[in-house]
Order: sequence, then C-alpha cells, then structure tokens
Amino acid sequence: MTDATLATPIAARRTATALPPWATLGIAFGLVSAAAIALYGPIGVSGTYPRFVGAVLRRITPEYAAANPYLVKMGSLVTTETMLVVGLLIGGFLSSWLGRSRGPAIETVHARETTRARRYADAFAGGFLILFGARLAGGCTSGHIISGITQLAVSSVLFGAAVFGSGMLTARILKRGY
Amino acid sequence: MTLIFALLVGIAMGALIQRVGASSPRMILASLRLENVSIIKFMATTIAVGTVVVYVMSLWMPMHFDIKPTYIVGVLVGGLIFGTGFAIGGYCPGTCVVGMGEGRRDAFAALLGGITGALVFTLVYTLIQASLIKPLDYGKITLATVLHMPALVVALALGAVLLAVVTLVPTERRARAARIGR
Repeated sequence: MTDATLATPIAARRTATALPPWATLGIAFGLVSAAAIALYGPIGVSGTYPRFVGAVLRRITPEYAAANPYLVKMGSLVTTETMLVVGLLIGGFLSSWLGRSRGPAIETVHARETTRARRYADAFAGGFLILFGARLAGGCTSGHIISGITQLAVSSVLFGAAVFGSGMLTARILKRGY
Repeated sequence: MTLIFALLVGIAMGALIQRVGASSPRMILASLRLENVSIIKFMATTIAVGTVVVYVMSLWMPMHFDIKPTYIVGVLVGGLIFGTGFAIGGYCPGTCVVGMGEGRRDAFAALLGGITGALVFTLVYTLIQASLIKPLDYGKITLATVLHMPALVVALALGAVLLAVVTLVPTERRARAARIGR
C-alpha cells in the first residue's frame, strides 16, 4: 500500500466533517432572518415593486394613483422593505467584488435560449410572472417562503408548495439548455 | 433606526444569496430540475434555524411577528404563477436585485419584467379582488393555531424535520452535477 492510497481517506474525512456552503450560509441567513424579526419585522422584497410603481404613478397621474385602492394600500416607498432591497443590491455588489466574481457571463437555462435576446425575453417573462404571482399571494420567496414559514404561517406553507410544484413541473417541461 | 437595521439585513442577505449561488439562474434551474438541490437546502436550513431561534427568543422578548393572511384561492393561484415564472426566468424578486449588484445583465431584464408585472397587477387589482383575494380567507392562521399546539413545539418539530431532510437527501444527482459547476 502506497502513501497516496493511505492519504485519500484522511482527505475524505476532512471534507466530510466541514459543513457544505449551503449549510453554513443557510445557518447565517437563518440568524439574519431571526434578527430582522427581533429588531423590526420579517424580511420581504416583492412589495417594493408596486410601491415603486405607485411612486412613479403619483408623479405622472396623481388622481389615478390616489384613487387606486392597491396603491393606497401599499403606501409610500419610504419603508424598511425598500431599505432591504437597496441592501440586496449593495450586498450582491460587495460580495461578488470581494470574491472576484463580478460581471458573470449570462447564463442560459433553457434549450430555446439560443440567442441573447431570447434569454432576455425569458428573464423578462419570468420577472413579470413572479411579481404578478407574488402580489396576488401577498409575498415572494423572502416574505412567504423564508419568513412566512419561519413564523409557521399556513398561507406561506401553501404558497411554498404551489411554487415548487409548478416550478418543478415547468422546469421539467422546458428542455434544459446548459 | 429600523431603516438602518433593514439596510444592514439587506446587505447581509444580498451577500449570502450571492455566495451560495442563489442569484444564478442556472443554480435555480438545477434545483427545480432536482439536479443539484443546494439552493433548496440553503432555504430549508434558513427556515429551520430561523423558526427555532425566533420562537426560543419569543420566550424572553417581544418579537415583531407579522403573519400573512391565508386566502386560499389567491395564495395558491399566485404561487402557481410565481413557480412558473421562477422556472422560466430563474430569478425571484430578491435574487434579480442581488444579480444586478453582481453585474448580471439578464437580471435587469427580470427586474423590468417584475416592475411591469407589478404595474399590471395594480391595474387589475379591483377586477380580481372579488374572485381571487376575498374568497376562502381564513385570516392570519399559523400551523400552531391549526394544530392547537404551542408555537415553540411546532417550530422545534419543523426545524428537526427540515434539518433531517437536508442531511439525508443527496445534494447532487451524479451524472449531471459535473456540468453545472459550483
């Protein structure tokens, strides 16, 4: 038996004891999400989109904006949620800059994304549907799935099941392109 | 002060999402196609740790809970639409913002799509309110109220189940894992 074959199990043992990145980063995110609930309230993102739409419409057509019940319900853009979204932009920038992975190449995910324009079209269509769906359900991945299930909300468990059900089905129907 | 807290939470959250690869559409699709479920495991670990920590903390201090109402039709239809868009674009409302910070150009297309989706929802809200949002509204119910059990017990059980699942289920399907990377 050579030194090389003896060395293999030791290396394997070392990697087995260290937690995988999803576990350490997940534990950190769990603590951050709990800290938000302790300090001011659960994390959320998707409500910022209609608040932004409201801020724009209040400038263009103030009468319509004041009469639209949804914009009135969602209120001003000056909220903790808007600050969180600004933080996401900064956090994504800082982390990729420090990790030297800024400006990754565009990733195709479906076989039909044969041109850059088709990838943009899929990203736009996906963005449209996630926001329409999130506003109908009252939350998105962070507001419903992460902080909603964290607070044991029945609505968030239903939302999560529907998202992964239709998401896995759609991903299976569309041919993979990577 | 809460605005500053929220900004710091956002920065931490953005950095964690970037590091784990959740802002990568390819990693999202790899999870949805069950080729590499590390993003689903990341979310499940987050929920497990978060739920146990908040309900243990709630024994000693007041927490800022905010439970979303269970209007079954709207929540389910919204979830089905969301899941379809999630699989088509590979982004969610937060990860496309992180992706923009990272310099992903298709993330900007997803953000514009999101603003358009929110605009259309705003325009049709009064039309769909009666059929999708008002019916079967059970209000702000939790698993604890439905099961008639203390929230801490349900949180501990949920945390244990999620951690057991992420530990036992393999992360990668061997044949395709090498091609996805990360």
